[in-house]
Amino acid sequence: MINPFHFLKKVWLTIDIPCAAVFLSAAIGAVLLNFSGANPLDAYGALFQGSFGGMSALGRTLEKATPLIFSGLAVAFAFKAGLFNIGTQGQLLFGALAAAVAGFGLAGMPGWLHAPLALLIGAFAGGIYSAVQGALKAYTGSHEVITGIMLNYVAINLTDYLTNGPLKDDTPGNIIARTPLVMETSWLHRIGSFPVGFGLALIASLVVWWFLERTTFGFEISTVGHNSHAASYAGMNVKLIIVWTMLLSGILAGFGGAVETLGVVHRYQPGFNIGLGFEGITIALLGKTHPVGVVLAALLVGAMKAGSSQMQFHAGVDKAIIDVILALILFFVAADVLIRKILRRRETKGEKVLFSTGWSK
Amino acid sequence: MFQKYINSRCGIVRGLSFLVLLVILWSYFYDSAITEAVLASALRQSTPLALGALCGLMGERSGVINIGIEGQMLLSAFVGFLVSVWTGNLLFAVLTGVATGAVIGLLLAFMSVSLRIDQILGGTVINILGFGLTGYFYQVGLNTKGKLQSISLGPLQDIPLLGPVLFNNPPITYLTLVLVLVVHYVLFHTHWGLRTRAVGEHPRAVDTLGINVFLMRYTNVVLGGAIAGLAGSFLTLEAVGSFERGMTNGRGFVALAVMIFGKWTPIGSWGAALLFGLAIALQTQLQFGGQTIPHQFIGMLPYLLTVVVLAGFVGRARPPAAVGTPYTKE
Amino acid sequence: MCILFRKLIIVLFFVCLNSVVIAAASDCRKKEILCVGLVTDVGTVDDKSFNQSAWEGVQQSAEEIGTVIKYLETRDPKDYMVNISLFAENDYDVVVTVGFGLGEATSQAAKQFSDVKFIGVDQFQANALSNVAGLIFHEDQAGFQAGALAAMLSKSGVIAAVLGTNLVPPVVAFKEGYVSGARYINAKIQVISTYHPGGLAVAFTDPEWGASTAKQAIDQGADVVFGAGGTTGNGGLIEAASHSEKYCIGVDTDQWLTLPAAHPCLVSSATKRIKEGVFQLIQHAKESQFPSGNFFGEVGLSPFHDFDNKIPQYIKEKLTEIHMGLRNGSIKTK
Repeated sequence: MINPFHFLKKVWLTIDIPCAAVFLSAAIGAVLLNFSGANPLDAYGALFQGSFGGMSALGRTLEKATPLIFSGLAVAFAFKAGLFNIGTQGQLLFGALAAAVAGFGLAGMPGWLHAPLALLIGAFAGGIYSAVQGALKAYTGSHEVITGIMLNYVAINLTDYLTNGPLKDDTPGNIIARTPLVMETSWLHRIGSFPVGFGLALIASLVVWWFLERTTFGFEISTVGHNSHAASYAGMNVKLIIVWTMLLSGILAGFGGAVETLGVVHRYQPGFNIGLGFEGITIALLGKTHPVGVVLAALLVGAMKAGSSQMQFHAGVDKAIIDVILALILFFVAADVLIRKILRRRETKGEKVLFSTGWSK
Repeated sequence: MFQKYINSRCGIVRGLSFLVLLVILWSYFYDSAITEAVLASALRQSTPLALGALCGLMGERSGVINIGIEGQMLLSAFVGFLVSVWTGNLLFAVLTGVATGAVIGLLLAFMSVSLRIDQILGGTVINILGFGLTGYFYQVGLNTKGKLQSISLGPLQDIPLLGPVLFNNPPITYLTLVLVLVVHYVLFHTHWGLRTRAVGEHPRAVDTLGINVFLMRYTNVVLGGAIAGLAGSFLTLEAVGSFERGMTNGRGFVALAVMIFGKWTPIGSWGAALLFGLAIALQTQLQFGGQTIPHQFIGMLPYLLTVVVLAGFVGRARPPAAVGTPYTKE
Repeated sequence: MCILFRKLIIVLFFVCLNSVVIAAASDCRKKEILCVGLVTDVGTVDDKSFNQSAWEGVQQSAEEIGTVIKYLETRDPKDYMVNISLFAENDYDVVVTVGFGLGEATSQAAKQFSDVKFIGVDQFQANALSNVAGLIFHEDQAGFQAGALAAMLSKSGVIAAVLGTNLVPPVVAFKEGYVSGARYINAKIQVISTYHPGGLAVAFTDPEWGASTAKQAIDQGADVVFGAGGTTGNGGLIEAASHSEKYCIGVDTDQWLTLPAAHPCLVSSATKRIKEGVFQLIQHAKESQFPSGNFFGEVGLSPFHDFDNKIPQYIKEKLTEIHMGLRNGSIKTK
């Protein structure tokens, strides 16, 4: 029998610091807004209205959060094995492009098969691109952060070339570099205002949680993350685990790109997925690399993105303020020592999480 | 056995450098103007990367990861630009740019050394903050009164090939070359450098010897920040002469790659930065030459090259052992 | 610490009280008030480029014919539709959407909000909708004139172009016009040009790349630099300005007014009169004579400003001749 009071207290103790961080950041943001001549109450009111005020606003928030959940999970997953997957952006781009190709290329398929197939193809495109990084890391020792940054640039160039060349939309009159529209059988629809992609993201975060906490392979991954020497003494094949981890991480990123293509953009167009992968790093850190944390962090960031247009429309505020507030939230969540002092709360033992112990060893 | 392996790899790197030199000389006799133009451009493109890498390695050698170089550069570029607009004094502007970098370095050190928060997180905070603050406060219509101009070093400039490339540059480019040597000397030939490296490898042992781990880390991260500030100043005050939102365009991240490529050494990083600069300049030159290959292929060349070189020749790079782990006194 | 926190809250409370509410939404529902909204392409309204020019046209309409105006900046291309709808749902009468990227969203919105008029800058209308006017330009003609001017000014026989990305069709049109314009004057001229190697995210905001590329071109003999590509191109212009005896040519707007740092070399700019075109179309909307389909804006070279007395008469005459020739079709850009 769970004591409801204890349960609530436990929940509060997990979320009190992030909540305080959000409020403190909003307060500092308000001072900045006031400083530049805007009314903070109006601004925040409009921001809230634009992200949670009504079903369509809520739908937009969920839609914005969806790719962030996937890329956040991708980064968090790799962190568990001590790998810093900074290449999420490139993997996401390939996932998005591959899903688009499957979406317009595979004709005459029923909807129940087309959409899942396109999603899988996208996911594997991201996964394979990521596994290359993993293999380079495991077998040649080249650092995943450099190969990740480099392969991001390669991915941008390659996708730009493909969408402006062989895969370019050949509808008469089109001058824009983009692929044709994907067929409607491959679309991820909305149920009411609720995007199906968001549901998939929730399932993905559950699967990641289960995988890391409840399976042997998940255990092996975190062992490698904690101490790869110990892992190899214990008879684990560290190199293979690295490749697998990167593959799975890339699959998550590619899945995110595919969901974005099939659910929102309905084609691949350069410039439409900018930053989604990179923001995964922010999300993973904000969510303390826990799948539930990742979902919450993505919802927060998604809400701010979704509401920013309303904020600019009604309060005339430059959208860049959102970056400032986000950076502050991240700072306060990280620098919880400061908030603990304000809340007068001590650190409970084992609460402090270090996600990344340096460049992986 | 292991030593021999290392040596053979060094041989490959040396051979590669020699090959690059031969090609440069050959092309110089073929068309001197183009060769000089490409090399000068390579040097210039390498400058912010080399400075960013120096910033990164100062921190990492003492045990602090800095992935916030991008944000540091951007904020310093912005502040340096503002000061130049307000005062019109370029020297003063560069100094404030450097100081800004140092202050942000201090913030990073505070987060990662004193608050002991995750270091990658600290850097990410700085990056987002850099984009947000500069984006929010930048106003159009601010104009500087010029930028740092080239200083030619008299007769040295008349040396064929080297002269126009090396000895006719603006001040921060010269300063970069000096800094590479200074950081190398300090890191590997002074007591200070020995302590820094020891703090990055084995802080506990160093602590028992009575060296202040916190102080070493703070100083190195702040000095590194100052160097990143110089890179920012380079962008607005020497290279372009104005500020634009997000104008660092990933140079801080590439600098990180350059640092790892250079195996956490100043000279190595400089070489890697030069290689990058050369690749970018070459891809421009290929387009100038009227290549019909889609420019995206040429554009990805430097990055692919890095991956290939890294996988084949440079191999396993070993970071300082204690990098990324906050130190707690017991 | 706790006291400090409370103090902070109190201070904030007063801060909020003090800030005056200016918003006071003008009633766009009233028939006599013409409300004009502008949605930028990814970027800011003060980008010294097409977003800014279009916004200046909207501002002009506020000053001269008393429209109520507002802009929304797009950060994520997936928000095009959201941003356009925000104006339409708030009873705006005219919505200006800037950039070819918004073309699809604009036609979609036009079908959904049939009583709102849309001005699509750089958006070619393949199937005309009654409430959409695509403001388009012959960038190739502007580039052609710039190329001709460059070829006539060049003493070395080498001229350069520093460009944004070829993913953006107007940039390609500018470049191709520039090359054929130069060849029209001097068939043997060497034109060296480069597109930015990065993707859309960086191609127009990398002044340092533009500057070092311009220098690389100047070092190998180029004496005229054409910068076409947002602030990337601007970097190239400013770089040319720091070398003696070099000329540079700006793009889109008269950059003499927007980029003082380039004054030492800036002879002219290959302009698209976006501001004038947007203003004209808003005027038409006000007078209920809104055209649909494609509306061609003016292109051409901007005034020479300080270089006016340094440009020989024969060059000016030749440029006028080319301008006329392009207009009546006797000169082709391809």
